[in-house]
Amino acid sequence: MRWWWAVSALVLAVTAEIAVGRGVDWPQLDPLEQRILVELRLPRLVTALLAGAGLGAAGLLLQAVLRNPLAAPELAGVNPGAVLGVLGGIQLGLVPADSAAGALVAALLGGAAGGSLMWLLARDGSPAQVAAYGLLGSAALAGLTTLLLAYQPSRFGNAMRWLVGSVDGRVWAHVRVAWPWLVTALLLAWLCSAVLGVLAAGDGHAAALGLSPRPVRALGLALAVALAAGAVALAGALTFVGLVVPHVARALCGADLRRALPAAALLGATAVVGADAVAQALTVLVQAGSAGQRLGVPAGAVTALLGAVALVVVARRSPHVEVS
Amino acid sequence: MTAPVFTVDQARYRYRDRVVLAGVSLTVRAGECVALVGRNGCGKSTLLRLLAGADRPESGRVLLHGHPAYAQRRRDVARQVAVLHQQLPPVPGLTVRQLVAQGRYPHRGPLGMLWQPEDTEASAALAATGVTGLADRQVDSLSGGERQRVRLALALAQRTPVLLLDEPTTFLDVRHQLEVLSLVRRLHAERGLTVVTVLHELDHAARFTDRVVALAGGRVAADGPPAEVVTPALLADVFGVRGRVLADAHTGTVRALADEPLADL
Repeated sequence: MRWWWAVSALVLAVTAEIAVGRGVDWPQLDPLEQRILVELRLPRLVTALLAGAGLGAAGLLLQAVLRNPLAAPELAGVNPGAVLGVLGGIQLGLVPADSAAGALVAALLGGAAGGSLMWLLARDGSPAQVAAYGLLGSAALAGLTTLLLAYQPSRFGNAMRWLVGSVDGRVWAHVRVAWPWLVTALLLAWLCSAVLGVLAAGDGHAAALGLSPRPVRALGLALAVALAAGAVALAGALTFVGLVVPHVARALCGADLRRALPAAALLGATAVVGADAVAQALTVLVQAGSAGQRLGVPAGAVTALLGAVALVVVARRSPHVEVS
Repeated sequence: MTAPVFTVDQARYRYRDRVVLAGVSLTVRAGECVALVGRNGCGKSTLLRLLAGADRPESGRVLLHGHPAYAQRRRDVARQVAVLHQQLPPVPGLTVRQLVAQGRYPHRGPLGMLWQPEDTEASAALAATGVTGLADRQVDSLSGGERQRVRLALALAQRTPVLLLDEPTTFLDVRHQLEVLSLVRRLHAERGLTVVTVLHELDHAARFTDRVVALAGGRVAADGPPAEVVTPALLADVFGVRGRVLADAHTGTVRALADEPLADL
């Protein structure tokens, strides 16, 4: 029954994403419009699906293995690290600006480094302390990223994609690199979900059942980094998806990771696709009043705004979330 | 005499600067039901952790079936020994059924856990501890007594021949204390389980176990059948109280009455 709601929401978001946007007048499509649909709008949709699924699943894994309801890729150093990796790589000329594979490798290295750093700094802290460290770490990494941008400001426009998060301009060439990575990581995460679920109930509990907490936690963190960094390489640091979506997934499907993980992936995909549909609608509205080409509204701006609202709702609805 | 399950030989353990175990030696044979008693902080829980292989002694040996418990593969140990710890941290959102099903991990393994049709062992564990009615409730929403029985169900779901219990009656009212201990006693009798349990109440130790091991000063202070071990001298030396020990014709066991703390302790 609850799956039904989730799937309906996804179908709705996908329909909106395909229907809304520039350059296509429904229902009669000329060949150019058909090409726009197949070569621009479809890969854009798949990009949003993949990035959202990756971030939602990554957030759930982090919250489970760190036993911290405030854990999220953006607060665990992973997303800021991945952004720094990609933009640093591009600015320093190590990664070609349009290389999807280069961005993926750079995001993974940066995300792993950022995540490891935060983990070393904050691992013994309470959940709230970990989140506070996360905020500080994110700010520091963002500062580093800004320094790198100042180093070659001419490339700043392109950097917005990763700083804010956007699926605009993503084509099949990008999707082709990203999907095998993200889909494999999602499948692996699901195969590990039962084990990670045992760890989520406590280290002592896991150890008593014959699971060594440390390697299993490392496995969960590595999978989260793989998913989040893969998503960031593709669509940038879309905020709040990895923080809010896991709470909604657990509210719908319970805390059992075997079900919560697919739910988080599904809801994350829905959230980003829906956010981008809203972003496209806003873009159309903004440009209706003005002539000339403008930058589209990035999906990350919408996830940031709607995500903040959703977080407030989630936080008010679940008073039992213990953060101390 | 049956084969030894646990062999502890001159085990020493230190936590930071404090000597917790100062050379404990103990053998537990298959099918025994043993109570560990002693004052707070006397090393009962530590000894249980060593038996479970969760930690290793600083020196000396702790063997499970003749091999160092700590060095064995965790999952192999978990198929042999189930542990009920004093505390279970909050498990937000997890239902009783889901938590108890995790007790099947040592047998099913990581992939076997992914797809679990109705697991008869998990259901039997729920039934045995009388929590079938709570199966779909969230663990965190239960009362202390209910949680305790759920945790016992979790340990039983492991279906191990050995059960290690760390104060299984904490948080329980008198009725539930008796229920849980009777259940453990019944499982010991019916399935031939080897049980080692930390107990606070000497009366419980006397009534529900066959052997009482008293720890004091990091060593075994007394070890034997309850009627021999539970004496006014034990109350004085181990627990620091003046007391009396009476024979109870109704239960056929001894009862310890603590009257007052001894002045010099």
